[in-house]
Amino acid sequence: MTRCSRIAPALIAILVAIGCGSSKPQDASATTEGQAASSAPAQAAQASAGQPAATGSASIQGTVRLNGTAPAAEKVKMDADPVCQQQHASPVYTEDVVADANGGLKHVFVYVKEGAKGPFPVPTQPVVLNQQGCWYTPRVLGIQVNQPFEIVNSDGTLHNINAKPGVNPPFNIAQPVKGMKTTKKFTKPEIGVTFKCNVHPWMRAFAGVVEHPFFGVSGADGAFTIAGLPAGTYVIEAWHEQYGTKTQTISVGDGETTSLEFTFTAQ
Amino acid sequence: MWGLAAILWLAGGGALAASERPAPDPKAGQAAYGRSCARCHGAAGKGDGVDAKRFYPRPRDLTLGVYKFRSTASGTPPTDEDLFQTIHRGLPGTNMPDWQQLDEATRWRLVDYLKSLSPVFEHTPPSPVTMPPDPGAKRADLEKGQAVYQQLGCAACHGASGRANGMSAAGLVDDWGMPIRPADFTQGWTFRGGAAPRDIALRLITGIDGAGMPSYAEAVSGEDIWHLAYYVASLQEPPAWHMIAHPLRVSGSLPASLDDPRWGQAERTDLRLRNVVQPAGEWAHPPTVRAIRMQAVYNEDTIAFRLTWDDPTQEAAESPAPDALALVLKPADTQGDVVTLQAWPYAGAPRLDLCYWSAAGVSGETLAAEFDGVRSAPRWPATRTAASSYDDGRWQVLLQRPLQPQAPEGAAAITAGAFTSIAFAVWDGGNADARAVSPWVELSLRDPTRPSGGH
Repeated sequence: MTRCSRIAPALIAILVAIGCGSSKPQDASATTEGQAASSAPAQAAQASAGQPAATGSASIQGTVRLNGTAPAAEKVKMDADPVCQQQHASPVYTEDVVADANGGLKHVFVYVKEGAKGPFPVPTQPVVLNQQGCWYTPRVLGIQVNQPFEIVNSDGTLHNINAKPGVNPPFNIAQPVKGMKTTKKFTKPEIGVTFKCNVHPWMRAFAGVVEHPFFGVSGADGAFTIAGLPAGTYVIEAWHEQYGTKTQTISVGDGETTSLEFTFTAQ
Repeated sequence: MWGLAAILWLAGGGALAASERPAPDPKAGQAAYGRSCARCHGAAGKGDGVDAKRFYPRPRDLTLGVYKFRSTASGTPPTDEDLFQTIHRGLPGTNMPDWQQLDEATRWRLVDYLKSLSPVFEHTPPSPVTMPPDPGAKRADLEKGQAVYQQLGCAACHGASGRANGMSAAGLVDDWGMPIRPADFTQGWTFRGGAAPRDIALRLITGIDGAGMPSYAEAVSGEDIWHLAYYVASLQEPPAWHMIAHPLRVSGSLPASLDDPRWGQAERTDLRLRNVVQPAGEWAHPPTVRAIRMQAVYNEDTIAFRLTWDDPTQEAAESPAPDALALVLKPADTQGDVVTLQAWPYAGAPRLDLCYWSAAGVSGETLAAEFDGVRSAPRWPATRTAASSYDDGRWQVLLQRPLQPQAPEGAAAITAGAFTSIAFAVWDGGNADARAVSPWVELSLRDPTRPSGGH
């Protein structure tokens, strides 16, 4: 009933070829984030100067659990855009809350909120947010302040990346062509920066921006690891897109692995 | 206060344009805001004024500092000149009027006051974009622009022909989660930021913050921006907002098809449609049908109407809410006046002459429920749908009826030499809670017994 105009696959191939020639992802002349590319050499020099001084040999291995039953995931309707639909052999479900049979809660960003003593070198290796199958991968990511943040469109369809930070400057940019990359950076710490695509409104991703490398994201079993900590006492926070935050204070010693458990309650 | 501002202005020399701007005067700015802006934007600027909910698009929440129409990079605040321009020009297609009745000093004070409502202006400097050189209309390549339109995926929201019927159009929400609709490129009069190629190019580069429209600054070359902007501008179909419509007189048979060449000679009358405001307001159901185009051709006893309107989704027979139209005539002896169809039919309202057309082909009875109480109204006895088509977001319907129906009693007669008021109500089944209605215009058939004006 609703007409959907799609570009034929053969045409997409041609358009990709044209688009790659004319798109200039690094030429961010119009954006304040455009300095990412120019400051890269400085970061490289800093990183090659030696091992980070502010790290140690302690680590935290923990689990995030969900107390109660996760709300049922819903099937995502992608049929409006055949480019999205065609990339999924089986149905795709919403991932607002993903918990396994043991209550392990996925997609929780766990990080050192207080106690890390810098300065910390800024990695030159970008953190990548990929758009593939009209889905963000990863859904939740951690990144350091000023670390390159590379957004990639692996789909042959238009995506826009509508970033809604509260502290860092927002942006909403188009990536119409497959293979397009845009590099941004976040200049201030901020947890829960949201990314969405207006063209495909089911797409969601979240970033935790911190000043140090002490963070992890829980996997399918709810497990996370924060490694390389110096001995000391830290406030650890766990952030979930639906359930908010939980904090705990923990002391770790050199060479030790300390376990830590966070529990969120299903609402 | 005014005297002081004038003195400061004079002291500044008045040589540069910038010096025309008065010294900031927060009290005067706030007072002007209270007089002119608060009714929609709210006393504290939170976009929650008493009239706010009735409007689509919504009035800005000025405390967020997110502005749609800027000359600055995505995510950065507007320049002072951008804010001044919006106050000066208004936002076409919205309820934001231009404020040229305020003197320029007051407009500048409003700019200062708006900036004081959001901390964004303190911590983020505007980052003006650089416009690539305008090739001019003669050198702009519309074919190239069309290719860029496809390459950039504009059709995803705006549709292949620019009729706001892209695959993602119906599901768009703004940054606050409220439904929002893309621009229909055939309706340049709804372009809030202006319909000139330069305005369009600027929107492409800056994006429309808060709405879904992203910035294409990094996705397309400066040359292509202009080809695309001229192409999008070329899709506009300038409206003919006539108050009086002159149907075309023909001898013999009336056009029986939508593409009869005689439609090319018939005058066009465009009628702007307004949504009937629901208790939830337009926020919840942004209008999808914004205008209808009427053409009419008649012979000695019958009149044919070709009606054209953009509707982003086709709801036909199998839909629970098929797309539909009511052609409404005001009989000459109507007692009392129906100023607008917005509220009609109300208790004790005059009876009007209604003709329903439905995409499902059902009789008026089913649709009559949409217009409460309409069943008692006369309905044309001999109206028929001669043809209809839906193509890429656009309905065209051809209706015929007798000029002087014999029945039922009360049916409107269309008489040469007299005005007959005509209006339309349009339903988009894909936006079922939004009934759109037009104002009245007057049909005027030339009286063959009187000499023509000689034009």
